[in-house]
Amino acid sequence: MKGNFTVKILLLLFAFYANAFSQRTISGTITDIATDETLVGVTVHVAEMPTKGTVTDKDGVYRLNLPQGKNFTIEVSFVGYEPQSRTVLANEKGQVDFVLKQKASILDMVVVTGTRTPKLLKDVPIVTRVITHNDIAMQDATDIRDVLQTEMPGVEFTYSMGQQVVNIQGFGGNSILFLVDGERLAGESVFGNIDYSRLSMDNVERVEIVKGAVSSLYGSDAVGGVINIITRNTNDKWNLNLNSHMASHNEQRHGGTLGFKAGGLSSITNVQYASTDAIKFGNDGDFGSLAAHHSWNLKEKLTYSLADKLKLTAKAGYFFREREAQQLSHERYRDFSGGFTGEYTFDTNNNLTVAYNFDQYDKSDYALTNCYDVRDYSNVQHSVRTLFNRTLVSDNILTIGGDYMRDYLMTYQFADNSAKHQHTADVFAQLDWSPTKKLNLIGGLRYDYYSDAAMHNVSPKIGIMYRLKNSSLRASYAKGFRAPKLKEMYMNFDMASIFMIYGNPDLKPEKSHNFTLAAEYTKKSYNLTLMGFYNRVSDRITTAWDRAVDGQVYVNMSPLQIAGIDASASARWDFGVGVRLSYVYTYEHIAKGEPELSSTRPHTATIRVEYGHKWRKYGFNIALNGRVMSAVTCDEYTSMTSYTETVKATYPGYMIWKLSVAQKIGRAITLNTAIDNLFNYVPEYYYSNSPTTTGTTFSVGLSVDMDKLF
Amino acid sequence: MRKYFFLLSLFGILLLQGSCDGLFEDIYNTPAATVSDGYGFVETNTTTKSGTIYIDVTSYQSWTYISLKNKTIDTSNIVLGEAEPHVWDFAMHRYDVKTNGGAACETSYSSLDEVRNGGIPAGAVFVHDTLSQVVIDMSHMMEGYLGYDTTEVNPVLSRWLDVDLSSMPPLYTLSQKPYIMRLCDGSYAALFFSNFMNEASVKGYVTIKYIYPL
Repeated sequence: MKGNFTVKILLLLFAFYANAFSQRTISGTITDIATDETLVGVTVHVAEMPTKGTVTDKDGVYRLNLPQGKNFTIEVSFVGYEPQSRTVLANEKGQVDFVLKQKASILDMVVVTGTRTPKLLKDVPIVTRVITHNDIAMQDATDIRDVLQTEMPGVEFTYSMGQQVVNIQGFGGNSILFLVDGERLAGESVFGNIDYSRLSMDNVERVEIVKGAVSSLYGSDAVGGVINIITRNTNDKWNLNLNSHMASHNEQRHGGTLGFKAGGLSSITNVQYASTDAIKFGNDGDFGSLAAHHSWNLKEKLTYSLADKLKLTAKAGYFFREREAQQLSHERYRDFSGGFTGEYTFDTNNNLTVAYNFDQYDKSDYALTNCYDVRDYSNVQHSVRTLFNRTLVSDNILTIGGDYMRDYLMTYQFADNSAKHQHTADVFAQLDWSPTKKLNLIGGLRYDYYSDAAMHNVSPKIGIMYRLKNSSLRASYAKGFRAPKLKEMYMNFDMASIFMIYGNPDLKPEKSHNFTLAAEYTKKSYNLTLMGFYNRVSDRITTAWDRAVDGQVYVNMSPLQIAGIDASASARWDFGVGVRLSYVYTYEHIAKGEPELSSTRPHTATIRVEYGHKWRKYGFNIALNGRVMSAVTCDEYTSMTSYTETVKATYPGYMIWKLSVAQKIGRAITLNTAIDNLFNYVPEYYYSNSPTTTGTTFSVGLSVDMDKLF
Repeated sequence: MRKYFFLLSLFGILLLQGSCDGLFEDIYNTPAATVSDGYGFVETNTTTKSGTIYIDVTSYQSWTYISLKNKTIDTSNIVLGEAEPHVWDFAMHRYDVKTNGGAACETSYSSLDEVRNGGIPAGAVFVHDTLSQVVIDMSHMMEGYLGYDTTEVNPVLSRWLDVDLSSMPPLYTLSQKPYIMRLCDGSYAALFFSNFMNEASVKGYVTIKYIYPL
């Protein structure tokens, strides 16, 4: 009897303790409210148990074991997102999902362009502007032109010789360095501009823009700034996006992106087709029409990660564009690219990147009469780059790197379509130093060597950032340079029997001295940025008429100066309204008598007002974007062969507004509709710097994430 | 894992296989520097009385004279004051066309076969050459003037190619119409200007298909 009683007591105690100490599992998925994508590495804490916590895995899933019988608060936080918390009741178990919303401020976004190391935007001592994936998606943008013109004042894309050319606050396409994932692009369409239609916005994570000289990190061409396009990676088991866009002038874009991740291997394949009919402009002008064209863009990125130590990336790309330039012949443009990147993390403080990149850009004429496709231009670049980052005490970062590039150019602009090549090499170092939490200093130095001109160049940079509670002050000096291109040194081109253009092997590199002073104030979702800049560009490379040869010759011209103010203000409120105003004043001065004269518009602005709301299965965002460009009055030479007599010329200003509505239907479908040039602006005369618009146009775009459809 | 490394290596080898000066040269055509059939009457068919003429009109300073009767081509330099040949039916200077005392009309046909079947359109108006100016020196364009020569040009035949200078580079559009030329001896020829470029798409090389006598 006594024994039975003891057994009962023991069983009762066991049951009591078993209940008290038994565990329940809480798990769930954490996703982004805007994209519905799962988030990897989100920190999940239990408020009542400071030592209890986890992070989401590669599928965005977390799992916590909690004791039964007590309420707990689960706190979720992730860089760049609003934190969330939720109470789970005493006996609750099973799935508890979280949907996170990105912070209205993008200052918590990680960027790389300004320092070549991943840093939060708010911590970068060099002023960096970021255009996010969401910005791009809202615009239903096709290529980089759509994005830059809408987001940044002072940007003008126009056409010359039927090709897109850009002017960004006085700097042309040959003074702005465009990169894709940090790699430069081969070839030029015209006047040193790369082929911007190569830069499709499908599968782009963000665009980072650093204005001013950045040659201390990127070398030649970074005289007026760097625009770095960062492509996306995938963390999903698989995903498939299909999208289509149709607009006036039979503009079409159809594309798809397929991604998968299996173990350490992930892949993203992107295909895009775009086409537009010919456009005839109703009014007179410097140009009367734009030719029809179509293009294909294929990209593949394979990534293999091994135990968080080693990450290998292989890339390949093919681009094809055909411009129906003439009745009997079309112009064709092709690009073949590929490369490898290996990133090795020795430990938390040391990281090495080694990369090889190949890029070949060809131009050919395709005759419709005999189907001959005859190449007359090929630029081939092989480059190898290394980058070593070492984090020193107190999060100070030392960056050391070196690059080598072989540059080959065959062109119809050389005598007898001949070819030239040269080798370039560089080394650079940078120290990113934070002596106090409020103060950040950065200094860098780069040495470049160009074999063909036997040219050396040293590019220094120094920057300082001082942070207060809600604001920061930045100041920087940097030297930029642009080495003479092979074309500029060796051209020997008969311009339609009218005149010859000769290269000049004695050209000096173009150099710039850039001073920037910036102040930024951010509180909650309000942001105010004010920046002043001054650039002195010496030895700018251009063509000038030479009476001795009765033709044009590449020369270095006397200094030009570009100064200005860049101001922007943005706000976003919880009830869904957002506003962004950006304004740039640019003053450009070139002394008379030089072969080029200033023609940059002094005042430009972009405006965006938007309102959006999201329910569980439906969301929308309506946005009004405006581009305001002031008139410009400038001096122009009366003769093309003498730089003495000038006359005043005025080019009219204009405004272009775009109204767009983006609708999210369920998790998978996004429908974009837009009216561009809302107020039907049509130039009375199409000057070379007029917008290539025929008036109001309409577009509709559909994007479907197939993996989220079912 | 080995499989992935193998695939990556294979991909790398494929890339590195390419020469330093680029890949895929074979996808392009490389036309010979010299024309395989040469210049002149490159095709003649005595049965159908037709043929093809291929001439080089790249020089602004020369007229190229064509005799359909004799199947001969001659050139004379304007600047050097060279005389025209004794026998010729029509001539070209760049894309300008003149006749040797003849006249021409543009038809609404689309091919020489249609001309052969349809004959000379009823009511066709033949237009004689008129005094005009042709550009013989482009080298001073940048200084604001061009060198001209005053000569007779046939305004109808010269419509075979429209050069639109409102856009740069200019737009070249063929009329794609057959022309009927009445020669000074009263005989007729049909001309169809089918191309103004060579195999490498270089402008200034004209292909003319003809029927003579019509």
